[in-house]
Amino acid sequence: MSTEREELIRAALEFGRRAFPEDRPTGEAEGEFNRAGWKQLAEFGLFGMPVPASHGGLGLGLGDVIAVMETLGYAIADQGLLFSANAHLWTNVIPVLIYGTAEQKQEYLPRMASGEWIGANAGSEPDAGSDIFAMRTRAVKTATSYVLNGTKTFCTNAQVADVFVAYATLDPALGPMGITSFVVPRSTPGVTVGKHIDKMGLRTSPMGEVIFEDCEIPLANRLGREGRGAQVFECAMEWERGCILANCLGVMRRQLEKAIAHCQTRKQFGKSIGKFQSVANRIVDMKLRLETCRPLVRRIGELKDSGKAADLEAAMAKLYVSECYVKSSLDLIQLFGGYGYTTEQGVERDLRDAVGSTLYSGTSEIQRNIIAKCLGL
Amino acid sequence: MDVTEMKNTVREFILAEFLPGESSANLKDDTPLRTSGVLDSMATLKLVSFVEDKFGIEVEAHEAGVENFDRISDIAALIERKKGA
Ligand SMILES: Cc1cc2nc3c(=O)[nH]c(=O)nc-3n(C[C@H](O)[C@H](O)[C@H](O)COP(=O)(O)OP(=O)(O)OC[C@H]3O[C@@H](n4cnc5c(N)ncnc54)[C@H](O)[C@@H]3O)c2cc1C
Repeated sequence: MSTEREELIRAALEFGRRAFPEDRPTGEAEGEFNRAGWKQLAEFGLFGMPVPASHGGLGLGLGDVIAVMETLGYAIADQGLLFSANAHLWTNVIPVLIYGTAEQKQEYLPRMASGEWIGANAGSEPDAGSDIFAMRTRAVKTATSYVLNGTKTFCTNAQVADVFVAYATLDPALGPMGITSFVVPRSTPGVTVGKHIDKMGLRTSPMGEVIFEDCEIPLANRLGREGRGAQVFECAMEWERGCILANCLGVMRRQLEKAIAHCQTRKQFGKSIGKFQSVANRIVDMKLRLETCRPLVRRIGELKDSGKAADLEAAMAKLYVSECYVKSSLDLIQLFGGYGYTTEQGVERDLRDAVGSTLYSGTSEIQRNIIAKCLGL
Repeated sequence: MDVTEMKNTVREFILAEFLPGESSANLKDDTPLRTSGVLDSMATLKLVSFVEDKFGIEVEAHEAGVENFDRISDIAALIERKKGA
């Protein structure tokens, strides 16, 4: 590891511990978005890390951003906030950076990179989840604009978003070739944020419906080519799948440390429970999972930093890390016994957060389908 | 690039991306791609992007259907038409 990356990790750890002391309540039960925390992440420079300096960012490689994310996942208890940060980075910042015109980059990137604007991804619909390109939201082209009509659901950050990267079809008969993507500021007439969607985990990350009703979007706000929105979406998903679980590596590291400390101190039958082989084995499995997950996520950084595609690797990382994250969270509860099941210890929260990781950015089944396809099956 | 080279470039891409391990002898100029299920709509989109980048042409959404993307020979014909236009 380069000394620069080591320095970055040290800075992220120091920042995370200072700005988010563990005993500070984070509005989990109420499902409150931590706007002050968002500002702190912004001041730390998180949202501009993958953005070139010419657009107001720090111009770091993805490997560095992943290392920072892993460290923040370790240092910060509020995974909902970090989830919101990930949604903003991979489904808004990156698509605008890769597909945006010079004008779009100039207009949106500095605000996104500084964290002044929060982005949300408006892709899923009530009848188009895994089968995302069956979406019904229509875009009708006029001489000067596209007019959007339709309802999006499951939009992370919807309530707090200033801008949406939204997808609509010009003609459902064209399948994926009909999908077109747009950058839609929230202030655009015809955009409404609908009902809040309450979740079992990641509760501090807001989620809601977004409704487009005769929403007129200037031609200049189309992101990428007409009919190539599926490509923009797939690109965003490749980055998101590959990177969104970096935080979870940090959580798994924290869980491992917690497990060891607990099993060394908790005594039953006159000895520490870690001395019972079946207890120790559970911790051994946690350690193995963490060590086998890490290279999969780090590989995405290496591939992207050398300009390579990572569809297969991102799907493998997403599938494996999310499933390991759930197992690690279940293991920690088991090791804590009844105390792990109570809300007091904060251990059960990890499990509620972890379950979502096997669903968002494509379910585990969909990741398996992608991997199988890459293998020629 | 002549038509044979064009077809071979497309063939190599399809083999590498969608049929790993398959022998090039089994992917003939007239092997059905879309109607046989070798290419689904997402794979077609990937192939369209490759063809655009490689041959410097633009394919419109309505041109990416079965009539132009079901066989390597159809794809090569489309490229030729576009390049000649
Ligand atoms: C925490 C969270 C945050 C999210 N944030 C966003 C966001 O910001 N923006 C956004 O647009 N969406 C977001 N989503 C939506 C997410 O992308 C979808 O929930 C996901 O793609 C699955 O779609 P679905 O919920 O409609 O389930 P369905 O597609 O109905 O799937 C139901 C079940 O069927 C299985 N299934 C479906 N098709 C297949 C198949 N072909 N092969 C095998 N199994 C299959 C699935 O794996 C799943 O188990 C979020 C979801 C969650 C949980």
